Amino acid sequence: MSQQYPALLVVVPLLSAMIISIAGWVNKRWCFPIAVAALGVAACSSVGLLLQVLDQGKVIYLMGGWPPPMGIAYYIDHLNGLVLPVVSIVALLNLIAAKKSIEQQFPDKIGPFYSLYVLMVAGLLGIVATGDAFNLYVLLEIAALTGYGLLAMGEERAPLATLNYLYMGTIGACFYLLGVGYLYIVTGSLNMVDIAGILPDLYQSKAVLAAFIICMVGVWLKMAFFPLHAWLPNAYTYASSAATGLIAPLVTKVMIYVMIRLMLTVFTPAFVFSFLNVSDAIVWLAVIAIVTGGVLALAERDLKKMLAYIIVAEVGYMVGGAWLGNRDGMTGAILHIVNDALMTLCVFLVVGNIVYKVKSYAFENLQGLFRKMPFTMGAFVIGAMSIIGVPPTCGFFSKWYLITGAIAAGHYAFMAALLFSSLVSVVLFFRVFEICFHEPFSDNHGHDHHSEAMDEAPLSMLVPLLIVAATLIVVGLYTGVIVNQIIQFAIPASLV
Amino acid sequence: MKIIGLIISVLTGAMLVYAAADFPAWSDPSSPASTYLSPHFIEKTMEETSVPNIVTAVLADYRSFDTMFETAVIFSAGLVCFFLLRTTRRKESETETTHYRHTLTGVTIQIKEGHTLPPSDEFERIDSLWTPSGLIIKTSCRLLVPFIQLFGLYVIAHGHYSPGGGFQGGVILGASIIMLAISYDLRTIIERISEKMVAVLCAVGVLIFSGTGALCLLLGVNFLDYNALAPILLVDPLTARSHAILIVEIGVGVAVMTTMIWLYCNLSSAGKYNQGL
Repeated sequence: MSQQYPALLVVVPLLSAMIISIAGWVNKRWCFPIAVAALGVAACSSVGLLLQVLDQGKVIYLMGGWPPPMGIAYYIDHLNGLVLPVVSIVALLNLIAAKKSIEQQFPDKIGPFYSLYVLMVAGLLGIVATGDAFNLYVLLEIAALTGYGLLAMGEERAPLATLNYLYMGTIGACFYLLGVGYLYIVTGSLNMVDIAGILPDLYQSKAVLAAFIICMVGVWLKMAFFPLHAWLPNAYTYASSAATGLIAPLVTKVMIYVMIRLMLTVFTPAFVFSFLNVSDAIVWLAVIAIVTGGVLALAERDLKKMLAYIIVAEVGYMVGGAWLGNRDGMTGAILHIVNDALMTLCVFLVVGNIVYKVKSYAFENLQGLFRKMPFTMGAFVIGAMSIIGVPPTCGFFSKWYLITGAIAAGHYAFMAALLFSSLVSVVLFFRVFEICFHEPFSDNHGHDHHSEAMDEAPLSMLVPLLIVAATLIVVGLYTGVIVNQIIQFAIPASLV
Repeated sequence: MKIIGLIISVLTGAMLVYAAADFPAWSDPSSPASTYLSPHFIEKTMEETSVPNIVTAVLADYRSFDTMFETAVIFSAGLVCFFLLRTTRRKESETETTHYRHTLTGVTIQIKEGHTLPPSDEFERIDSLWTPSGLIIKTSCRLLVPFIQLFGLYVIAHGHYSPGGGFQGGVILGASIIMLAISYDLRTIIERISEKMVAVLCAVGVLIFSGTGALCLLLGVNFLDYNALAPILLVDPLTARSHAILIVEIGVGVAVMTTMIWLYCNLSSAGKYNQGL
């Protein structure tokens, strides 16, 4: 069975999504257990795969038994071996945490919601696992289409915000497809490893250069990298908490993974860093992304939108780190995929709990939350510390690698942007803490001062949140193991 | 803003055209796309899959994993449309009025919600945008539909030998039912094939495809490796590949047909399912 993990990873969620969709018409109570079981199997397979990769190196799985380049193959190496468990576990924890709010928000449409949710996770896992450039596009379509559906079902402004996202996302996906088409015309192959083997003779070709540019722009659109980020804040803010809890931590991070995969495996560092001379300009774009993300977050008066702008800044971290062109920067970018997925999940689960209880995420309604929801706010403090980058939370370590990489590359503006972003995060989060510590202004002047009794979110929402918060610290403490055992092997030796 | 957009699109287009200068010439027999993989498919498809139509073999066997997810894309389009549009609870402000037409005199009456029409054969329910029934349109559509559907089934079944397959056949089948819905009305269709039936069949279509693949997995080989189905289909492994392609094409056909109906019902009635176009 263990050699079938790569198939189980995507096929079990896909089959389950169909079964959930049918179960929604028969008996709604079956939907949630099936969804949890499916994502549980996916999580176990992804952890199993990671252990296999650690044990024996690359795992290759031939779909339909056809060898590449004729057929489609899944390649699992240290890079996606690390990202797969993150995707599946984040999705599983958010699913469990979101059960109550899904039942509260869409009582009639539980079946379709869970079905779309599980299908989206199948798409994301497939994107990460696949070794075929076109298969990646097909799975991108699945993840995007289901994502639009999940995001559009929210507040009144959600459909319009999602329509914007749909336009931008579709353009991004088309660009990627066009790039793959160009590559196919000049190489005749769709398999990533195979393309990488053919490309070195074609580095001079303008078609390869164009393919690289449009693939990158397409991926940047999808991950909301600086000038292309305008769709993200509204789309993420107005959606339901269950949907943002899945999409905010994962979609941008998976697209960063795709970018790194294209850079390291398909086009190889020799082409990206040595042959092209653009990394400096892109790191500068990342600097602007980090600064604008932070400044725009400062201007927001509600928690969810503020966090959405922080995601824009975090995307800048990872793109900048990957384009520094040295080992430390790349290590930081890959480590930050893991850390940022976890800490974004942590803070968005907190928002989910607050929305469930307070029905709002505007700053003025957050008063007195520390007394009312002490565990939720405790987890929020850990998540915030991690985003700021306080040791021993994991956010500190990836930022450390990114700064080391920036110094090694002599790119001091990027280092300054990272430090500036940390300072902005301090301001952002301590402002929220201050509001949350304040008691609400009561109308009956000082009567019953302790009227605000504890009113925590239900345990099914709290336990996943506390697990994530604890994981932030555990991952921080085991950073050395992750870097030395996994990430070190994920970066080709040619990148120094 | 419009000018900036125009400049960006022109520049992007210019870059893509400029880069296309390095492409191999049109229909160049020595271009990588026609020398790298195509010879393998042209020479080996028949002996590896026993399917004469190479396109079908690539689509449903060599790269069937892609096709399975394409079917899932179609399914999710239908599901998202249902998820976003279908209204199960009406807003309190809007009350539903239904329209009935007295068939003998042509008088139309409006029935407000909460009231019912006394049982009578002389009234027929009509849509608010009703036009006098076109006898010619209704009759010709009714006569055409069986032939269209038969052709749809042929296209699905004959994908091995000629252009066709599940996607094309499914679209033809779906179109035949949408044609009925337009020439009669939405209720006529829903009476024949209920909303629940459409939704379940849509998922079943994808399940047929992915279930065939998962069955191979259970039989101990890789996902979608149809050879393993030989003992179940009672044929030799090579013919099993060809038969399995037919099975998955049927799954695709079912999913595509029902998705088209599902999309039409939700879009034309804005999710209310009371009256369509």
